[in-house]
Amino acid sequence: MRIEYINPFVEAAFDILNEILDTSVKRGQLYLKKLGESMKGIAVVIGVTGQVTGRIVFDMTEDTAIKITSKLNDEEFKDFHEMARSTIAELANMITGRAVTKLEKEGLAFSFTPPTIITGTNLNIHEPTGEMEALIIPIDSGLGIVEINIAFKE
Amino acid sequence: MGIMFGEDGYPVGKKSTGGNYKVLIIDDSQFIIKQLSQIFMSRDFEVVGTAQNGKEGLALYKSVYPNIDMVTLDITMPEMDGLETLQRIREADPNAVIIMATALGTADAVKEAIKLGAKGYIVKPLDREKVLERVGQILK
Repeated sequence: MRIEYINPFVEAAFDILNEILDTSVKRGQLYLKKLGESMKGIAVVIGVTGQVTGRIVFDMTEDTAIKITSKLNDEEFKDFHEMARSTIAELANMITGRAVTKLEKEGLAFSFTPPTIITGTNLNIHEPTGEMEALIIPIDSGLGIVEINIAFKE
Repeated sequence: MGIMFGEDGYPVGKKSTGGNYKVLIIDDSQFIIKQLSQIFMSRDFEVVGTAQNGKEGLALYKSVYPNIDMVTLDITMPEMDGLETLQRIREADPNAVIIMATALGTADAVKEAIKLGAKGYIVKPLDREKVLERVGQILK
């Protein structure tokens, strides 16, 4: 996976979370993860096609998702209901949209699918061919960790 | 049809000929619909309808026409995406004022939307002042 495809997602996530959360957002160290390892509880999945194919997963605990969506709606949410789901999906959409805009400025063509949310504990993501590894970018949003999990294939 | 501006330089949702500026919001995100509705309603725009996909949005446009002044339209949506919706609305009403509301910044899809007749675009995440400023420039 080429770093030039990854960096725009890292920058977009960092910038957008900083812009909209008004918290102290910190970037963690990137690491590789084998697909099949468990997710945290709320996963927003966006498919990517174009110069590469693959997907991005925004992975966080339900507690983090509720805190972030409460802040963005300026309202205290008690559970991960419809408006919370819509908010977290839009957040993933905004990060992906900004990253794709950055990639297009570099002459790379990408398009992406509307987000899908998967909820549940002990959640695993598998890739049938076993050819892909996921690169994880942990971001401390100030309201909990959001892991951006990217698996692209050229 | 001109739009009135407040002393702060941002548009007020009133027509210079009288009456409120009527807006239709088409976006698959309830969160964005809520944000845009709050921004517009805070300035006296009248939100005449909201839809979460292009197909519903097109039907809604036709049902409220000609009592509609502006549409904000998302690009990435299920059912019928924003670019197709834009074309279909403009087929029904070549004078439709459509502003794309997108996370895509200056990406190719936005350029395509402008070619297809969108009057401009606003970028998500939405900032109230930036949205009003942009909408004011477009409607001037």
